[in-house]
Amino acid sequence: MRRLINYAGLVAAYVRLNFSAQLEYRAAFVSQVVAMFVNDFFWVGFWILYFTRFPVLRGWDVRDVITVWAVATAGFGIAYAVFGNAWQLAALIVRGELDGWMLYPRALLPHMLLGRTVATALGDALFGYAVYVYFVRPDAAHLGLFAVLTLTTAVLFVGFGVLTGSLAFYLGNSASLSEQWRFAMVTFSTYPATVFQGLVKIVLFTAIPALFINLYPVEALRNLSLGDTGIATLGALAVLVVGTAVFHHGLRRYESGNLVAMRE
Amino acid sequence: MNRVTKYLYVGYTAVRSNLAYFGEVLARVLFLGVVLYIFLQLWRLTYSETGAEQLGGFTLAQMLWYLAITESIVLSAPQMTLEIDADVRTGAIAVHLLRPLSYPLYRLWTTLGERAVRFAVNLAVASGVALVFVGPIPISAKGLAIFACAVPLAFVLDFTAYFVIGLSAFWLENTTGLTLIYSRVAMIFGGMLLPMELFPERLKRAVEWLPFASVVYGPARLFIHPDAAFLGGLLVRQAIAAGLLAVFAAAVYAAAVRRIHAHGG
Repeated sequence: MRRLINYAGLVAAYVRLNFSAQLEYRAAFVSQVVAMFVNDFFWVGFWILYFTRFPVLRGWDVRDVITVWAVATAGFGIAYAVFGNAWQLAALIVRGELDGWMLYPRALLPHMLLGRTVATALGDALFGYAVYVYFVRPDAAHLGLFAVLTLTTAVLFVGFGVLTGSLAFYLGNSASLSEQWRFAMVTFSTYPATVFQGLVKIVLFTAIPALFINLYPVEALRNLSLGDTGIATLGALAVLVVGTAVFHHGLRRYESGNLVAMRE
Repeated sequence: MNRVTKYLYVGYTAVRSNLAYFGEVLARVLFLGVVLYIFLQLWRLTYSETGAEQLGGFTLAQMLWYLAITESIVLSAPQMTLEIDADVRTGAIAVHLLRPLSYPLYRLWTTLGERAVRFAVNLAVASGVALVFVGPIPISAKGLAIFACAVPLAFVLDFTAYFVIGLSAFWLENTTGLTLIYSRVAMIFGGMLLPMELFPERLKRAVEWLPFASVVYGPARLFIHPDAAFLGGLLVRQAIAAGLLAVFAAAVYAAAVRRIHAHGG
């Protein structure tokens, strides 16, 4: 418990530092946050257009798809606003930039992930909550469950970022491949789960675990179901555990970049 | 080299440069395959739920081919605004101004060269995916020629918009936000995800005269339904929009160049 509280303090300190750094270029930061908010809004606009023409898609309506978008964007935003280095782990490994992080008297992975924030991620997080509150108009119980599910989704995105980024230990410069894999995950998780049938569902439970974002959270919020919430949570934790295991296995193959650098 | 051939050579160099990194170009098309697969599933379900043979005048096969073309067009756009942004921020633009080349025309031909390679690769992959998933649709040589006529001006028009956004680096700290917003507006109002025939009537009337439709929807529709009269109208709309945007870009560029201060070194 003490270790958890200690780590929470570290997270808070890094979040404060990272956002202070972003605010040094205030206009750029604000413009990126606003642009991502607008970007997400256009995607929801597409779905509103789609459901205006075709009101129901195998039992899903526009509220369900907005819920998918709210959960996915808020979870993604929280993940990479706080643990921004998970987004560019492959590049850090290839450039030999883990060296500096290894010198700290902290566990490497959870510390290093905090070292950066993705500016646009805050726009995603704000969008997710705003669109859910505005369009779905939840009561307190639904809003509370939504907050929990955005956290499980954030855990999943962090785990997935670590998993795909760790490919670089085995494949060398795999930044492009891990980027494509992450984009596939983001894309699949923002479409209604009902669209996918057959063998592809196995892929969406394993290699691209999008169903823990676009299926179980929606079911959980529809029925206030603890069972579906539990499956979403277990799925997210499984991805985090696998990602962490692959990272530590790959770390044995890591070679120092022999970089001479200084961190403030 | 005369005034025209030097720019053709710039475009040719951009083509060769992209072919030299063909693996990188290919890596990017994985995403295109994923997107087309998802669209196929979405539209297959939509057609089966509605029980319709055609939606907005498109069969399921035509719909997937339409989306293959729109995705190929949109995903072929190079990240030119980032390069202009970097030129402005690092001062490299001052070096460009010393060369016997117009900076806007240099950017235009570099972008067209790069985009030609990306578009060809995207088109090949997207056609392969569409062929595997829904099979061929009737395409004639005349239809392909009509489609080919609609693409170059669409790329020029898209370039002028991105160029103006890139130049905004002279006044803004960061242009990535504007780039993202433009690309999303082009995606939705250009008909990348949904053909305009399926837009609500009022929205369709409002956006069909915007330049985005001339970049994305127009060429893709001509691929599915080749029509010389539609091509004529499209070329006129493309030329007017590109002309107006070019005048605006020239004014912005003139104002931007006045802000450059070179101190030697």
